[in-house]
Amino acid sequence: MNLELSIRELFGSHLADGAKAAEFRMGRIEPYVEICPQIILDFTGVRNANSSFINAMVAGLIEQHSVKVLKKLVFKGCNPSIQVLIHAAVELGVRKTAGRVNA
Amino acid sequence: MNILLPAQINASGLLPFLALLGKPLAADEEVVLDFSELRRVTPAGLAALVATVVRWRREHHSVTFEGLKACSILGYLQRMDLFKTCGVELREPFQRHEAKGRFVPVRFIDHQVDTMGNDLAGCLAPGGEDYGHPMSHLYDLSWYVLTETANNVRQHSRGLGYVSAQVNRTEGFVRLAMADNGCGILKSFQDVGFKWSKRMTDAEAIRKALEPTVSSKGSPTNEGVGLTLVAGLVRQTKGWLMIVSGQGILQISDEPRLKTMNLPENARYQGTLVVMTFRQQNVLDYAALLHAAKIDAGLLPRAGEDIRFLP
Repeated sequence: MNLELSIRELFGSHLADGAKAAEFRMGRIEPYVEICPQIILDFTGVRNANSSFINAMVAGLIEQHSVKVLKKLVFKGCNPSIQVLIHAAVELGVRKTAGRVNA
Repeated sequence: MNILLPAQINASGLLPFLALLGKPLAADEEVVLDFSELRRVTPAGLAALVATVVRWRREHHSVTFEGLKACSILGYLQRMDLFKTCGVELREPFQRHEAKGRFVPVRFIDHQVDTMGNDLAGCLAPGGEDYGHPMSHLYDLSWYVLTETANNVRQHSRGLGYVSAQVNRTEGFVRLAMADNGCGILKSFQDVGFKWSKRMTDAEAIRKALEPTVSSKGSPTNEGVGLTLVAGLVRQTKGWLMIVSGQGILQISDEPRLKTMNLPENARYQGTLVVMTFRQQNVLDYAALLHAAKIDAGLLPRAGEDIRFLP
């Protein structure tokens, strides 16, 4: 069974708090990575986010499960700025798994 | 200590003013702030003043405000909530007008960073709350830099932070300032044991903080790109950024190289002050600016991973 999470319903239209994103990732996404064939993160209705939030959610997933997790992840309803942030978070996660970042 | 506030606390008067605020005090020494000659003050001056007054009080110094009757901009200072934020209530013999599109009074940075970002961006770019509105790009850019800088204040400073902003509609400038009264950037690096920070100056530490993925907190909530991208967005808009922390100052302008220096008279600003100016006309496509800032900082891959986006 796929897991679909509406980010707008959970956090509102503006996402600024990296701590909330990390907590959400650990509690609501990570436990399902091995179980669900597809995890859909639905950003429909999200107007803006900062790097702190998206990095804590997306880069952390790649760091924990390697870049292979991208095969399960689908990012839905992202506006252009959210897409930029997700691209950068994926890159950060890839670098972290390769040991090229020491943040 | 008596501090006569200078007539002009603007771009050229800010650093001497910060040097005044950074003068050392004896234990329990009283501070008297004299406003009688003050004629002009930017959001940066206001935010730094409030952060410092709060710090003095925290350190058990009594602070009094004098020369208010002679101050020709008393009404402006009241509208900007300078006294209110310092815990001083004054009678207001005027009616407050709508601040939207003109200024953001001094405001304490609390834990509701996203709400604060919405309120302030809405004030700087009225109407921009609606996606597709002509002000929406300025709204999004303001929200981004405000929330990332406020996150830094909350996560790293170990002090209290204050924000203020102003829009100059004639010239189209948006000025934002955030000041905290915490430990400063260098100390936050040293306290987590970064060996490379041991012999650093404050100015070098500020420069280091702008490098991508340098953070005194680290995963999972902080990857050290917030301030990097704030600086990147300033560059992309051909804006102006100044960061003051301890004795150090870093400036980014439309010149290719960033500039570092020290506060005059070996003074120290106890905390960190971040000041930005954007020109509205240069904020036309927020997503493109963010993309360019990420590329410039080396945070986007040349060939992307296979990421699945759905409409």
